[in-house]
Amino acid sequence: MNINATFFAELIAFCIFVFITYRYIWPSMADILEARRIEIADGLEAASQSKRQLEEAKEESLKIVEGAKSEASTLINQAGIRADQIVDEAKTQAGDEAKKIKESAESDIQQSANKAKDVLRDDVAALVLAGAGKILNKEIDEKANKQIVDDLINEL
Amino acid sequence: MAKETANNLVETSDYIGHHLVNLTYGWCEKTSSWGFAHHQQDISKSLDSACDVSEMGFWAFHIDTIFMSVFLGVLVFGFFGLVNRSAKKGTPGKLQNFVEFIHEFIGTAVSAGYHGTSKLIAPLAFASCLWILSWNLMDLLPVEMSNFFGQAGSGINYFKILPTADLNAPLALAAVVMVLVTYFSINTHGLGGFLKELFIVPLGPLEFISFVSKHVALALRLYGNLFAGEMIFILIAIMFGQFFMSFSQTLWFFPGLILNLAWALFHILIVALQAYIFMMLTIAYLNLASSKH
Repeated sequence: MNINATFFAELIAFCIFVFITYRYIWPSMADILEARRIEIADGLEAASQSKRQLEEAKEESLKIVEGAKSEASTLINQAGIRADQIVDEAKTQAGDEAKKIKESAESDIQQSANKAKDVLRDDVAALVLAGAGKILNKEIDEKANKQIVDDLINEL
Repeated sequence: MAKETANNLVETSDYIGHHLVNLTYGWCEKTSSWGFAHHQQDISKSLDSACDVSEMGFWAFHIDTIFMSVFLGVLVFGFFGLVNRSAKKGTPGKLQNFVEFIHEFIGTAVSAGYHGTSKLIAPLAFASCLWILSWNLMDLLPVEMSNFFGQAGSGINYFKILPTADLNAPLALAAVVMVLVTYFSINTHGLGGFLKELFIVPLGPLEFISFVSKHVALALRLYGNLFAGEMIFILIAIMFGQFFMSFSQTLWFFPGLILNLAWALFHILIVALQAYIFMMLTIAYLNLASSKH
């Protein structure tokens, strides 16, 4: 253990190594670590942001689905109402039609009946006249008795 | 028997002495020339000096300490420089991970202990911690190794591979810290404030003694721990070595083996801890110097 000039050599060597570390080793590694730190922070930030976006998108999609559902149910309701309306309309139409057909049929029947009545009346008149003529054995003046016969027929 | 013991004792003290002498290149007063201390190397007669290590004055260099510390520094800082140069900002590789881990570790220690704004503290802590750690790790190499290779190959008879066990090296580091502490103190409190703090407030001149001894202790703590560790390795090696000396000492082999292993394992802790302590104290002293109390 003797102190000698080695001390100065070590002193200079230490100063040089500290300078090298100060100038070349420490800052470059610090820069790299800092750059990586920022990169990681950015990555984490981006991840949380995309997570948030995903959350928002999920909510959005839920809303859309919800909207679509309610729209569909209103559509179904409307369709049901419309169907009921159509059925009702068809019913009334059918009823009207049926009524009309019935009425026309009735009037037809009436007409036919009237016609038949007329024919029958004419036939009866003719028959009556023929019968009466035979009974009286003479020609009944049609024109003279026309009024009587018609009254008779009308009473039928 | 008595003679053998005496011989053994001489050999033992020689052995210890041999391990405690640095490879010294210095100014010899007797011949007025520079050279390696007497008999320390067999490379060249012209490099040999007539002086022993003890006869050399202040102007002597411990070549082994300087070589090992600079070599280890180039290795460590070169490694960090190379990894930094090829470092990417994206996903790091394994080496870069390791380097970043150490960087973060020291960065955390600095930001926890130092609250000033100076950009010098972190590199200073980094450099001192890693340099000292690389020195201290040399203590885990077998004590006999450097001498073995030295004598077998290169003709160098003395070579201490542990720079920390040479007080010059820790003292140089502590001196740099002391200069920086002085600089930061003057920067913060002004020259007057610093001098007042050093000599008057609160305990008078004791503060100055405390200031100096604090930094000397910083060096001595590191030096003492590693020197003692090295010393114990040497003693264990002697015990271990008895095995080769005579048949009657064979039994020393096993306790030697176990002790060596146990001390090496324990020493791994000291090696890392002392480097860490030096760094933390450096940070703490500089923090104290640059904060207004």
